[in-house]
Amino acid sequence: MSDAALPPGRMRQSIFTPRRKRFITSIVLAVMCVIWIYPLIWMIAASFKPNSELFTNPGMIPNRPTFENYGRAWTEANMQRYFFNTLFVTVGSVLITTIAAALGGYVLGRREFPGKWPLMGLMVFTLFIPQGYTIIPVFQLLTTLGLGQSLWGLMLATCGHSIVIFILLFAGYFTQMPRELEEASRMDGVGPVKTFWYVMLPLAKPIVVTVVVMQSLQAWNDFLLPLVITLANPAMRTLSVGIYSFKGEHFVDWGGMMAASTIAIGPIVLLFLFLQRYFIDGLAGAVKG
Amino acid sequence: MSGVKLTNVKKSYGAVEVIRGVDIVIEEGEFCVFVGPSGCGKSTLLRMIAGLEEISAGTIAIGDRRVNDLDPSQRGTAMVFQTYALYPHMTVERNMGFGLLMNGVAKSEVKAKVDKAAKILQIETLLNRKPRQLSGGQRQRVAIGRAIVRDPDVFLFDEPLSNLDAELRVATRLEIAKLHGQLQGATMVYVTHDQVEAMTLADKIVVLRDGRVEQIGAPMELYEDPDNIFVAGFIGSPKMNFVEVKGDKLPDGRPLRLSGSQSNAVATLGVRADALERAGPGAGTIAGEVSVVERLGDAEFVHFRTPWGQELVARFPPGAAVRVRDSLQFALTGKVHFFDAEGRVLRDVAMAGNPVAAEA
Repeated sequence: MSDAALPPGRMRQSIFTPRRKRFITSIVLAVMCVIWIYPLIWMIAASFKPNSELFTNPGMIPNRPTFENYGRAWTEANMQRYFFNTLFVTVGSVLITTIAAALGGYVLGRREFPGKWPLMGLMVFTLFIPQGYTIIPVFQLLTTLGLGQSLWGLMLATCGHSIVIFILLFAGYFTQMPRELEEASRMDGVGPVKTFWYVMLPLAKPIVVTVVVMQSLQAWNDFLLPLVITLANPAMRTLSVGIYSFKGEHFVDWGGMMAASTIAIGPIVLLFLFLQRYFIDGLAGAVKG
Repeated sequence: MSGVKLTNVKKSYGAVEVIRGVDIVIEEGEFCVFVGPSGCGKSTLLRMIAGLEEISAGTIAIGDRRVNDLDPSQRGTAMVFQTYALYPHMTVERNMGFGLLMNGVAKSEVKAKVDKAAKILQIETLLNRKPRQLSGGQRQRVAIGRAIVRDPDVFLFDEPLSNLDAELRVATRLEIAKLHGQLQGATMVYVTHDQVEAMTLADKIVVLRDGRVEQIGAPMELYEDPDNIFVAGFIGSPKMNFVEVKGDKLPDGRPLRLSGSQSNAVATLGVRADALERAGPGAGTIAGEVSVVERLGDAEFVHFRTPWGQELVARFPPGAAVRVRDSLQFALTGKVHFFDAEGRVLRDVAMAGNPVAAEA
């Protein structure tokens, strides 16, 4: 307390040295992180506890750790099947969405054609329609096309969620690319399709990664749409719908549900770990653009 | 190899006409420079030859083919862009060979062509690098290399040096001049706003203004015998001095004795800095007070202010004892150009005897 003699103003300054400021910030952030991640940790911990212990043991470490929940979820509750359903829908919709959005964004970003701005306006307008209102028409459309009872239908419907945002993201990115690149390629005698594939698309890698990650998350975690589409056909359920079925009318298998949830988020966490650097680049680039 | 012929070429964007009927003949193997102030349409004209802009009217022929409706890649031209336009994600080698590879040329053949071009440009060691790992000058070479690989009849350069710093610009200018010598018979069309580039590189200069050709000719032809006041002022550094003439008199009332049938029509007198020489007191045609002296080492440019308030410039040999605020007299010793009120040159007008000699 040697600085007790100093005037109060100076003393207040000396308390918040840059180092202390950093320290305090770190503590605040750490607390927020813990709050943020607590449900996740609880879920993982609970997935290793038998149902009898779930609400009697408030601690994080299970008394009698068990894989029983996982076994039950994977085979009895059909998570195995739901997992591959989800994988199919996700991979398919990511492929279709990315290619379609890149092509659409390329045209909107780099070509002039009549009706371009009304079209853009219409697309932006659809962003304001809540998803709930479109589910029944989408389902009807799929039924008309004969895809109402197939995973292909679910996959196609899943593509539609954010494709407008992805197209605009690509369009914004392609707009700022120098015109000379395309002209150089035109002088080289390279056609528009090859120019897109070999010149423009590789340069849009940050956006491609962003779209892949966002669409994967969306398709993997989607609940409402697959719930409606798979109502009549439990074999087509995705993970999120499958997890919901652990909640029976009289009994909820919490342990199984937690195990299934852990299985469900695993791939997403892995994907993010691999792609996070590009993903952040892409978002930052899109904002800068 | 072949030349380029433009006949009454026009271009308009809606109601705005940017190229207003241009006729140019570029001979095979010639180095032709389009020069003019910004917005004069020189880049548009080049892009029309390349096929990147459509032609509103007229004919463009390369060799003896009319190319108006041909795709850029089929015109036998290759373009070097101001911004280089290298594909950022490809190596130098792939950048140079990309066009050929995409058009189904065998890999080994492409490699041979790329290697040959790289050797000409001395960029063999850079082939595996990406454009961002290259300096501006190196990128420029790669862009030129990409053009050479296509083995075009006509090279098109769109202000290729304007993104380089001053020193590199001079060096690359020399390289391009050498390249033209090396690529025997290659026709080159080069756009620039820098008249020094035009003077040093060209076999033939086309001076453009507002979408029209002002004059076409060899560099020294334009320098010594400009058709009009615009060309006279645009070509040559420092800019030609122009003095208004009214009824055989300079603005300060000094008489100007002219000969020639059109001497009555003279409205402007043009004289280059090196055609003004210091004269004894009271003996000169033009008087002035020195405002700035630029010492360049091999010469000194003396800027002076005339009694009627105009800034003119005279070239002095190095070491001239001239200081700011000196009052000097200048005699018109070199070639003097005369222009009418419309700015057209009056070739048969000349100074009638040397006024300095007459008064001495």
